[in-house]
Order: sequence, then structure tokens, then C-alpha cells
Amino acid sequence: MYALRNMLGKMSLHRSVKGIRKGKPVPIVTIDGCKVRVKKDATVLDAAKKAGIWIPTLCYHPAISPDAVCRLCMVELDRGDWRQLITACNYPVRRDIVVYVSSEGAKQARRGVMELLLARAPESQELKALAERMGVKETRYPNVTESQRNCILCGLCVRICEEIIGQAAIGFAGRGVDRAVAAPFRQPSDDCIGCGACAAVCPVGTIKVRIHQDQQEVEISPFKSRSKLLVCEKCGAPIISTQVSERVLGKVETMSSEEFRQCIRLCPKCRKLQTAVRLQAATVYKKE
Amino acid sequence: MTVLGLRQLNSLADLERIRAELLSRRDPSTKSVHVCTGPGCAAKGSPKLYELFCEAAKQAGSEVQVQAKAVGCHGLCECGPIVLVQPGNIFYQRVEEPDVAEIFRETVLGGRVVKRLLYENPATGEKAETADKIPFYKLQKRIALAYNGLIDPTKITDYIAQGGYRGLGKVLSSMTSEEVISEVELAGLRGRGGGGFPTARKWRSCREADGSPKYVICNGDEGDPGAFMDRAIMEGNPHSIIEGMLIGAYAIGSEQGYIYVRNEYPLSVERLKEAIEQAKELGLLGENILGSSFFFDIRINRGGGAFVCGESTALMASLEGRPGEPRAKYVHTVESGFRGRPSNLNNVETWANVPHIINGGGQWFAGIGTEKSKGTKVFSLVGNVVNTGLVEVPMGITLRRMIDEIGGGIQDGKRFKAVQTGGPSGGCIPTEHLDTRVDFDELTKLGSMMGSGGMIVMDEDTCMVKVAKYFTNFLQKESCGKCTPCREGLSQMLYILDRITDGEGQVGDIERLEDLSEILEGTALCALGKTAANPVISTIRYFRDEYDAHILDRRCPAKECRGLFRYEIDPEACKACGICLKNCPADAITGEKKVPHVIDQKKCTLCGTCWEKCPFTAVLKV
Repeated sequence: MYALRNMLGKMSLHRSVKGIRKGKPVPIVTIDGCKVRVKKDATVLDAAKKAGIWIPTLCYHPAISPDAVCRLCMVELDRGDWRQLITACNYPVRRDIVVYVSSEGAKQARRGVMELLLARAPESQELKALAERMGVKETRYPNVTESQRNCILCGLCVRICEEIIGQAAIGFAGRGVDRAVAAPFRQPSDDCIGCGACAAVCPVGTIKVRIHQDQQEVEISPFKSRSKLLVCEKCGAPIISTQVSERVLGKVETMSSEEFRQCIRLCPKCRKLQTAVRLQAATVYKKE
Repeated sequence: MTVLGLRQLNSLADLERIRAELLSRRDPSTKSVHVCTGPGCAAKGSPKLYELFCEAAKQAGSEVQVQAKAVGCHGLCECGPIVLVQPGNIFYQRVEEPDVAEIFRETVLGGRVVKRLLYENPATGEKAETADKIPFYKLQKRIALAYNGLIDPTKITDYIAQGGYRGLGKVLSSMTSEEVISEVELAGLRGRGGGGFPTARKWRSCREADGSPKYVICNGDEGDPGAFMDRAIMEGNPHSIIEGMLIGAYAIGSEQGYIYVRNEYPLSVERLKEAIEQAKELGLLGENILGSSFFFDIRINRGGGAFVCGESTALMASLEGRPGEPRAKYVHTVESGFRGRPSNLNNVETWANVPHIINGGGQWFAGIGTEKSKGTKVFSLVGNVVNTGLVEVPMGITLRRMIDEIGGGIQDGKRFKAVQTGGPSGGCIPTEHLDTRVDFDELTKLGSMMGSGGMIVMDEDTCMVKVAKYFTNFLQKESCGKCTPCREGLSQMLYILDRITDGEGQVGDIERLEDLSEILEGTALCALGKTAANPVISTIRYFRDEYDAHILDRRCPAKECRGLFRYEIDPEACKACGICLKNCPADAITGEKKVPHVIDQKKCTLCGTCWEKCPFTAVLKV
């Protein structure tokens, strides 16, 4: 297997030389001896994925620009006579480089960071599972900083809200150990549309979406922001927040068919049923 | 500026003509009084002195021309307020309001020296009439601070008369941008903000980087405790920074500059604003500078006071209006910095050195200092040293000479213990390394760093564990909290240090601290986190016995950590006055008239009141 990899590596080297002639250099990343070619400015993490080598991450999400705040993805970069610890998630590959993921130095660094995180959020099951996968059984450190429901301040929620949703309803408040994710003035925010993206990306389950059936509202906890829920016109089940549905409708304005608007007013189950009726297969569906 | 009858300057010849005119207008018989209004002297009331001198000058009548000037920091802050009288360069120190009339009558009008106000060498008892005879100034070489104390920082004419903006004129009229960079390269100038990165290399990378516009930024966010080097330059000679930035911008190809000043320096902001306005009026900023096609403008931004904003990427984020938090520097700021454009950031002192390099030539500048660290460095010498103040010394001077000769040794005749260099993330250097030459690389070798030039001298009564705790506490408070190692690691370190100084240290705590330091150094996001362990690591390296004494013997050798020493009354020194007895809040002291008092150790809460109150220093820490 290793020989094959090596051979592939040589082949890719040859190709990359050809690539340079065309004016498009294709750097080679050697990760733990495995050579992969990546696009210029791809990250070390991209290269590791391509090579099939796992690097633990917490604050990384493929849809969001990397910020390298959790420092869990430390790997070693070969600098000739010394090795530099770098974060894999945002180190851009611009030339041929050699990195080590399973070297003792890199492992030690990742272990140190993980232990600090475990000390901060000792009850997080998700964190414990990741630690276990990394081979970290327990932390040497006591719990000295307060975390809000095991929040590890990875900032994915803040970044997704700003970059993808475009609302920036939450941000960081406080500095240092007092840092916390919060809506402005820690009050319910009008900017929150109740989409739940922050809860979806949260790697440790700090952020939760709570449905208040009786008030037909969705609450993003712990930010206390509430939004009205759109309920299915047929069965009354909650679908999504009204603000999100308005946004979606705003985006599909070009194909504004009344039918589409009708669809979104139904929950997925009722929608299926409706389609089935249209297809005159209602009886079949009911039997199933 | 129209008041002075100056028009826009359209060429180098214009500038030279104005300079000649300004110099010729000076009446050689005019006497001038320079009152230091630097931060140290101003705190001791020098602005009032300046007003009094101004009034006196007005009333002097027409037969003698007297001019009073408020100037920037002279450096010897310990002996402030400082007043210099010209001609004669007579240096008066510790001047108080009642002395003004005497100085005016005797020295300004009568030409006689007021001996009482002269500096007296404590070792020899000799009085020094002029600054160059004072040991504090003898070893100094002033480049960045050259005009401080000579010029009125609110007047561009003073700066021009001293030869200001001549470097800019030279650059615009006869040098290409590459020649400017080569000159700075020849000078071997390295960044004075702490990193010590070669300035010319930074400029060249920024010039060659793709993208426009390019930005030139001045870092005036001086946040180290006890440091005021940049402040002295911004308040004492703001035009030198502007000229340096103009030259840098010309070399890099930038049209917009920013000066980032911390908001806690309101006077710096005011002085820089005035200076920028005056430079604009004279056409030294704006379009067609000195008749060339070069365009450059400067804006001032005020920081909110976060220590981390002195870090280049955090500073740029703050400039953009975002929270001042650093980002990874895998892509350098010279390629993508402020607003994602090539940005060149240098420290105040670096910029202030640039005009002198252009005027004096790179060769001259490189002649000063050591092989790899050229020129001079401004330090704020503070702590338990006799002459606290601002000093500018050639690189390569030994720490011993700085502390003993310039600083005048340790206060109250105590013994030297350590000197902390490089601000809060620097390290402590002990006696055995006092003969180290001060330059970027030597200090780094010792586990400390040059930093921006803070130098805190500590005497034998300083507990090094407490010092480490103080700086760790500062850094933990100032950490932005963005990355895990800095936020969590520093808190863990502080927790352990707290435990040690409380007398609850455990065996293995030193190793735990070393482990945490390693994690911080290797994995933190920015330079603040990477160097944050330096105070702890350097104190463990040089003063491990003190840590051991705290942990193993529950004893603080310097007797600073409460609970790790006892108070006892020396029966021979005790005069049985009863002051300690009356003041003791725990009623732990017993004694009668003419009988030495005794502290009951079981009742004593170690508050230290008796030690503070005893007029005969009979209460001892043991």
C-alpha cells in the first residue's frame, strides 16, 4: 500500500511540474508520508481529508470560513531544521510542504488543548466522545473557568449567523474568561429569525431549539430570542419560524407561483399527502 | 499657519528657504525657558510652571526678549518637573511654583545659576549645571528622542527649524522608493514594537504585494504596564512620526495612513491631530507633497484600551470597526491586512527613527549598536531604581550599566534581584546575567525579550512568584478569550500560582506550570498567548528555589506573600511606645510600659498593621 502511495506521489509530482508550465502550480502536501495534491490555497485539513487522515476539529465547518480558535487541529509543519505547530483548518498550502499529524509533538499539543477544553466543559458528552477518539481519557486540570452549558466558545454559531444566515444576531460578549456568546445586551434579539442554524452547528449541544407549542413560538436557547412559528394549515404541526419562511419565499420570488406558497404552508407530511392526492394515488398511500 | 506667514511649500527649495528664514528670525539674544510637560513632569504640576513662566516673560518688558516653551519629555522623570534655560542649557530639576520667580530673576535676567535647583550626584555630591554632566544622560544616545525637550510639539515651525521634513524632501526630490528601502535595509532597522522584524524587509514585501490601496499604519497602542516610550514621542515630537510615515508610504506606494492611539492618551491624540493639521496646511500632507506627484493622508483612530490591540492583526480588526481580536498570520498583513489589503504596520518608535536614517544615512545608523541590532532603543526604566525615567541607549549596552550608571542603582541601598524586560510577556533576568548586552537576540536567549522597551527593576524584597502571578493575572485579564490555550491555559496557570502564593502549593505544581507554558507557547493563536508564559518560565528558570520555598517549606523568602512569614517584635529595638498595641485589630500584641511588646502568633492575623505603624522598625518579618 505504502509503495503504491509513493508511486502515486511520484506521478503526481511529475504532473505538478507539467502544471507549473501551464501557469497553475499544484502544491504537494506530504502528510505523515502520504503525498496528496491540492489546489493552491487549499488548507492542510483539505489535504488531510484527501489523504484519508483524520484530524480532530471542533470550530471547523466546511460551510464556514475557518477561524482556528479551538486550536484542536494542531499539526506539525516541517521547517527544515525545526518543526512549527500550525492549525490544519486554516493553514493555506502555497507550495510543497511536509506535515506530521501523528508525530509526538502534534499529538502532545492536541492532547494539551483537549485537556483544557475538558476542564472547561467537563459534562459535555460530545466533547468526551471526541476526546476518547483522540485517545485522551481524562484531564489533568481542575475546572476553573465557568462555561455556559458546556460552551467551548468555538464561535461556529456566531460565524454561521453572520456568514451564512446574514443576520449577525449573536456575537461575543465580554473578554477573556468572561467571554460568552450572546445577543446584544444579553436581551432577546429582534435580528434572530429563529432559523436554528446556530443550534445545528453547535458541536457540544449548548444551543438548543425549543418549541413552545402553546404559544406557537420557537425559542433559541440560551439567547431567549423567540419567533412565531408557521403551523401547518391542515394539521397544525409547527413547521418553521415565520421569519424563515418569509425569507425563503423572498428568495424564490422569481418563480412565485401561488402553488409554491401553498406548499410551504403545509408540513412535510401533509405536503406528501397533498402530492399523493394530486397523483390520484391517495388510496395507495393510505393503505401503506 | 498664516499667522506665521508661511505659505504652502511647493518644493524642497521652499522648505529650505523657510528653514533659513525661521533660523534667521531667531534673535540670538532671546532667552528661552523650556518647561518639560511630559507625563511625569505634568503629573508633578509642570503646566502651572509653564503658565507662570509665560506670565513672567510677558511682564519682562521690551528690553529683554524672553520666550517660554512647553516641551516634551526629557527623560529624567524621577527629578521632575524639569526646566531648561537657554542660553547655557542650564538644567533645573524638582522645580516648584515658588522657584519660578527666582529662576526668572537670577538665571533668565541675571545670567546666574540657582545652585539649589541643580542636579546633585548622590555619589560625589557634585552639582551638574547642564544635562550632559548628569550621569543619567552621559551614556545615552538620543535619536528617536533627539528633539524631545528642544522643540515645542505644537509648532511645526520648531520642527522644521531643527531640520525636520528634510528627510522627506530628500526622499521626494532625489530617491526612488527602492533606494529608500535599501537605505533602511543598510541601517539594519528592526521593529521597535517588540518583534524586532527587519523593517526594510517588511516594507519591501508590502511594496511587492498585489492589491491596492496599500495602507501604512502606526501602532501607538502602548499598553505595557509602566511603559511610556511611545507616549513621550507622540506628545513630545509628533512630526517625527508623521515624517517617518510619509517616507515609509513613499517607499511602499501607499496613499493612506492610520495612527492607532489608545484612548487613554488624550494628549497624544491632541498633539498628533494638531501636527497633522499643521502639516496639511503647509502641504506636507495631502496632494502634491512638496510639489511632487506623491499623495498621502493620515487619519487618527483611537483604541478602546485593550492590551491585545497592540497585536497587529487585532489592531487592524479594531481599525476596521470589529472587535479587537487577532487572527492567524499564516497570510501576512503585508499581503492582506487592513480591509484585506496590503498593510504595513510599524511602531511609533520605528517610524520616529526613519527620518534620522534618511538624513544621517543608513551607514551612520548601522554604526551604532551590535551586529544584529542596530541603532538605539528607548526604555522606560522603572521600578526600584533611583533614577526612574525614559532612557535611549545604543543597542549593546549591558543591563548592569543601564541599571547602575543610568539608573543610579537600587533605591534605599538595597540589593538588586531581577530586571523584567519586554513588558508583561517578557521575562525576569537575574543578577548573574546583568552583563548581558541589551539587544533583540541576547534578551531572547535569556528567556526574556526586548518587547517595546519596558524595564522594571526589582530589589531583594520582591517575591518572584508574586511577580509571575502579577503578570499572569494581567495577561489573563487582557486575553481576548478567542483561543482555547490562552483563555483556559492562563486561567489554569493563575489558579496554580494563586495556590502557591497562598501557601497551598503542591509538589508537582512547578511541572504543571511548565506543561501549561509549553501548551501556550506551541498552540496559542497570537503573540500575546505564545509569550504569555514567559514571566512564569523565566522565574522558574532563575528562581526555582523561591518556588520550592513556597511549596515545600510554606515560606516566602522575600516575605511578600501573606501567610508565608510571621511578624515578630525585636525586643532590642522596641521602645515599648504602645503604637502597635493600640493599632492591632486582633489584640494580638501584649506589653507594658518600658517592657518590649510581644506578638501572640496564635491571635495574629498577619494584617501587617504593626509593621506599618512601628516608628522604630522594631516589627520584623521573619
